Amino acid sequence: MSKADPILRVRDLTARIVTRKETFQAVRGISFDIGAGEAVGFVGESGCGKSVTARALMRLAPEGTAIALDGAVDFHGQDLLRLGEVAMRDIRGRRIAMVFQDPMTSLNPVMSIGAQIDDIVCRHMGLSRREARQRTVELLASVGIPDAAHRADDYPHQFSGGMRQRVLIAVAISCDPELLIADEPTTALDVTVQAQILRLLLRLRDERGMSLMLITHDFGVVAGMVERVNVMYGGEIVEAGPVEQVFHAPGHAYTRALLDAVPRLDSAGQKQ
Amino acid sequence: MRRMVIARLAWTVAILLGVSFVAFMLVRALPGDFVQTSAGAQNVASDVLEAARRELGLDRPLLEQYLIWLGNAVRGDFGYSFVTRQPVVGEILPRFVVTFQLTLIAGLIAMAMGVATGLASARLRGRADWIVRLYNGFILAVPNFVVATLIVLVVGLYFPQIAIFNYTPFFTDPLANIGGLLLPALSLALAVSVTISENTRAAVLEVSGQDFVMVARAKGLLPRTVLANYLMRNALTPIVTVTGLQVATLLGGSILVETIFAIPGMGQYLFDSITSRDYPVIQAIVLLASAVVVIVNMFVDIAYARIDARAQS
Amino acid sequence: MSDTVHNTAHNNDKEASRPEAVAPRRLPFTSGQVLLVLGLVMLALMAVVTIFAPLIAPYDPALTSASSLAAPSAEHLLGTDSIGRDVLSRLIVGGRTTLLITSVAVFLALAAGLVLGLLSGYVGGIVDDVIMRVLDVIFAFPVFLLAIAVVAGLGPSVPNLILTIAIVYTPAMARVVRGPVLSVKQWDHVEAARSIGMSELRIVLRHVLPMVVSPIVVATSLTLAQTIFTITALSFLGLGPPPPDPNWGGMLAEARQFMELAPLTVIAPAGAIVFATLTFIVLANGLREVLDVGSVR
Repeated sequence: MSKADPILRVRDLTARIVTRKETFQAVRGISFDIGAGEAVGFVGESGCGKSVTARALMRLAPEGTAIALDGAVDFHGQDLLRLGEVAMRDIRGRRIAMVFQDPMTSLNPVMSIGAQIDDIVCRHMGLSRREARQRTVELLASVGIPDAAHRADDYPHQFSGGMRQRVLIAVAISCDPELLIADEPTTALDVTVQAQILRLLLRLRDERGMSLMLITHDFGVVAGMVERVNVMYGGEIVEAGPVEQVFHAPGHAYTRALLDAVPRLDSAGQKQ
Repeated sequence: MRRMVIARLAWTVAILLGVSFVAFMLVRALPGDFVQTSAGAQNVASDVLEAARRELGLDRPLLEQYLIWLGNAVRGDFGYSFVTRQPVVGEILPRFVVTFQLTLIAGLIAMAMGVATGLASARLRGRADWIVRLYNGFILAVPNFVVATLIVLVVGLYFPQIAIFNYTPFFTDPLANIGGLLLPALSLALAVSVTISENTRAAVLEVSGQDFVMVARAKGLLPRTVLANYLMRNALTPIVTVTGLQVATLLGGSILVETIFAIPGMGQYLFDSITSRDYPVIQAIVLLASAVVVIVNMFVDIAYARIDARAQS
Repeated sequence: MSDTVHNTAHNNDKEASRPEAVAPRRLPFTSGQVLLVLGLVMLALMAVVTIFAPLIAPYDPALTSASSLAAPSAEHLLGTDSIGRDVLSRLIVGGRTTLLITSVAVFLALAAGLVLGLLSGYVGGIVDDVIMRVLDVIFAFPVFLLAIAVVAGLGPSVPNLILTIAIVYTPAMARVVRGPVLSVKQWDHVEAARSIGMSELRIVLRHVLPMVVSPIVVATSLTLAQTIFTITALSFLGLGPPPPDPNWGGMLAEARQFMELAPLTVIAPAGAIVFATLTFIVLANGLREVLDVGSVR
């Protein structure tokens, strides 16, 4: 499949968040494509709707709220918005997987690291417990956890933030998804660790040929990572294009403001 | 962790000392001493009373009396019942076992009901939540002795074939024994189940909002896996803690429920002892029950700290 | 936090001109207000009946008659008990004793808890340690067991019952007061008041006390509910106010013997106890929501 032939085609996606107290429109009719093996960045300030877009693709609403979706999300010819919940569960984690922002709170504190990868592997790949554990250990090793066989039995509190994010990446790639959504994967981490995690994501994308949707508020993060970038503001995509073009010749005033917010030193460091 | 356990143990011992002192003072320092009370309305010569006091050690300083009493209590000697003239311990122990059994069954019923309603209320939200909270609010307003009395009334009126006042000892017929304890345990459990239900609801709601639950759903796991391994495993700690802390309520309530259902447990014995002003027995039961509560609370605290240490840091 | 949905909501709210921001559907009143009003109405009903009990009661509650265990009739709306006394009259007058003991005892516990809690939380240090450790010991007893032991020792009389209830509920009250005081005293305006030389007593009365009022009001309401339970349970065991004054717990206990013949003699006092307890629970829940107090315990 060439990049001209997208695996994900989003058209006029709107998302309204419905809580018991109020309803508001978080995403206001956006359209974009993601090609096979392509890395696409979504950049914008917090509250611009980029995280809601990611959750809309996964059809995940936070507990106690609902997301009312409209438009079309074409994934390999299937409209995800019109899929039943049971069929959607087979797509989550199996074909579209997600890495969340805060590794400190994204792992179940009372389950061992290994068990939290075993369960998704068992669920989607139909492996036995033993085979699943073998795969878990391989996955942990591939995301750079040293002594993975032993550490699989450790609990999250025995891991640092960067190591936990590696574990969560291992969870996300465990079933060889076609699309990996990374929602602010480095925001909660130390600067030095941020670069390592980004390099890991890039390497995994190249090795496994999956598509990557990278969501961030920091232009410096996407600069060296993705081919194309979408700039979001107020629930809309205000600018889209190849990363070099947007970076060097921003067309929208908001994009320029975002670019100005990037410390030069940091962006130079990210680009190499 | 070890330091915490040692500190908690030391604190428990301190509380137990305090509790024993209060239990001692409750009886000794009250108006009218033992001898006077046992003499009752009879006119007894004052030198006879003096002799009796000396014999019982009541002429010594209060603190010394306390230490002697405490020393005996630690060795399991709570003195003699005024009524039966038998050692208190021998009288209490078999009854303690019965109360323990009743409390245990009531605790299990309360936990089952509380977790079920609390979980329904937190997961289904909307109308189910509303109904459960209304039910909880109402049940909380019905004291256990009222529930017990009404159960006895309803059974007496509509199910006369059920014999509720026939207590069967466990070793005579274990099934009949447990069956006979079910209704008393239910009346004891209702109010406690409300507390557990409310805490279950709060705990499940709190855990539901955690990021790792969202991650679990993003993995495409089946809802029952998310519920069992992610929600309940984390919500269980506060639920168990609350149940442990309800032991005091259950023990206090057993006095009433045993009296109503004629179960020969510690509660009914306490009631009889109060009627006959049998002070050594009252003292021993209050001390024993309080000690159970204090020690259970200690275990709950330590267990909680252990799970907490694993979950955090 | 990430830009979760809530942050998004917040940002969009600021841009109020957006037409899509649908206004939330609001009821004209909250569930807390409904509960509060309901609780107050129930309380008022109870207060009126209690205060005017002798006027409302159709008979002298101690007056016996030949018709014992009579079914409800126009003469005796709730029937008569085993020695022919009018159940309704006993119920109305019986509430007096129960509610009198309850309110006075809780008031005493509140006063004692307030003083101890303020002292403990505000002064801190060794005073705090001593007070809290002593209260911990009392707290370690199961409330009902302690109450039984104290009443059994003192002998059941109205003043002794009041004293007992006050003693067993003081530690809980003191804890409720101490918690907020501990945090309030760190606040800036308390610091500021101290720095301009305001006396400690005035700081406590003017700045600390108002901050702890809400949790105390809720806790008091809950304690009232628990006290109704304790006092009626003690009476049920024969440790209540001495006869001939009727009281709900005692009526329930007396009626058990013949309850299959006259169920109403049991149901009436049971209903009264539930009503009184429910009043304070409804009130506590309403207050908790309206005053926006988290869990008190």
